[in-house]
Amino acid sequence: MIDRPAAEREPGSYRDPSGFVFRRDGVLYRQINLRIADDWSLFSSSGLHAGLMEKGLLVPDEPAELDLAPEPGAVAVIRPREIGFISYPYEWSFSQLKDAALLTLEAQAVAAEHGMTLRDASAYNVQFDKGRAVLIDTLSFERARPDEPWKPYRQFCEHFLAPLALMAHRDGRLGLLLRDFIDGLPLDLASVLLPRGTRWSPGLAAHVHLHSRAQRRHAGSTAEAPRAVKMSDTRRRALLDHLRHTVEGLHLPAQGTRWADYADQTSYSAAGTASKEAIVGRMLQAAGGERTWDVGANTGRYSAIAATAGYEVVAIDGDWAAVERHYLALRSANERRIMPLLADLADPSPAIGWASRERASLLERANADVVMALALVHHLAIGRNVPLPMVSELLARLAPKLIVEWVPKEDPMVGRLLSAREDVFPDYSVDGFRGAFGHDFKIVEEAPIEDSPRVLFRMERLG
Amino acid sequence: MRLLFAYIDPGAGSLVIQAIIATVVSIPFFFRNAIRSTIAKFRRTLQPVDKKGVTPPDPE
Repeated sequence: MIDRPAAEREPGSYRDPSGFVFRRDGVLYRQINLRIADDWSLFSSSGLHAGLMEKGLLVPDEPAELDLAPEPGAVAVIRPREIGFISYPYEWSFSQLKDAALLTLEAQAVAAEHGMTLRDASAYNVQFDKGRAVLIDTLSFERARPDEPWKPYRQFCEHFLAPLALMAHRDGRLGLLLRDFIDGLPLDLASVLLPRGTRWSPGLAAHVHLHSRAQRRHAGSTAEAPRAVKMSDTRRRALLDHLRHTVEGLHLPAQGTRWADYADQTSYSAAGTASKEAIVGRMLQAAGGERTWDVGANTGRYSAIAATAGYEVVAIDGDWAAVERHYLALRSANERRIMPLLADLADPSPAIGWASRERASLLERANADVVMALALVHHLAIGRNVPLPMVSELLARLAPKLIVEWVPKEDPMVGRLLSAREDVFPDYSVDGFRGAFGHDFKIVEEAPIEDSPRVLFRMERLG
Repeated sequence: MRLLFAYIDPGAGSLVIQAIIATVVSIPFFFRNAIRSTIAKFRRTLQPVDKKGVTPPDPE
């Protein structure tokens, strides 16, 4: 018997009795339980397992030793390749959630070709791995039985279709509702929030409005009839085809927001922009590391510089339109090293779910070597009234190294923030900034940006 | 009564409505597929056969 390091079960992996994800010595594994031994064996023998990995639809894994299983009843243990940064559906823009939905339907279609089907269709089963949506739940597949309905139908509509419809037909910010509904958006809520006109759209009328009425009608019913519902293969394929068309037919209305247009309206001259880009590139090289978080990334001008410098980047912004624009640009350029993420640093994603541990908060997922906070501090300090020492403290929690831009009061962008309000920020000065950040960081380097009153600082966390 | 094995709740109302929706959408789905396969067959018949007697592969 080999002495193994203790296993720790992942807090979010408890719902499905077919298996679970755990760590030993920091390495991620998945235990597969006896109850789905037949499905697991068909998953391999049918070629579906290899086929999904080959098509890039499923996160790759390799077999691991069975005695790594921490609990009895295991038939196999696998070691999935770990995703660089775990994100959640409420941190995705519209097109990220739409791509995750289409991936789920594609995986279902491939499974059907191999005589299998999805057992669930949770948005949490999808992650972005090197820029592309992939399924991470290797246990989501089971043998397709003739005449069975598509069991994840309700989950698919609640996790994907309803939030996408609200974002497309009401407002792009409504994806954030998923933060409050970990099991997906209730369809009765989606139905009342959607504009009345969507009742005339065949896809949404069927899968959201009528679906919600049917749920209400059968709520609390103990009748056995629904469980006897049968569906031929053709009808199931027609349903899935219709769902796919409905998802594909959802688009955001073309509209900009303050921030998405912000990248084009900076206060820099051409010389200033070139100078800032050069300094950021040089500071990133000097800082060294594998991962960076670009906080307040907007549409990703400086994330691109970090990617070119060899970093894997999480590009965080609080504006959904900026994240959407960034994601679409990366997708069309096939840039795989940057992950755009919707989050507000002044109100980062909280921990949610069972015991507040099921889905980790954004701060708990901080894994960067370097954090970039460019043109951000004034938005927090003046736009959101966060005292500079608190800004410094938060950035120090994110990474051991920091590249931060100081934007003084005489800068036109700060002038804009103060244009309609009293200046209650007497400590907002470069000395106040140095004092506040000096408490958590050592200033290693500072470089004024040409043709601009702004200064870039490179810092290292103390202690 | 046959049991539906699922670790998630498929929802009674969701099962009933999906069967109804599937029945409705399967009609155009069936005809669309039938038309598509007829067109594909027709194209194959019309496709030129090269000198070796091999039909070029379907572009799809």
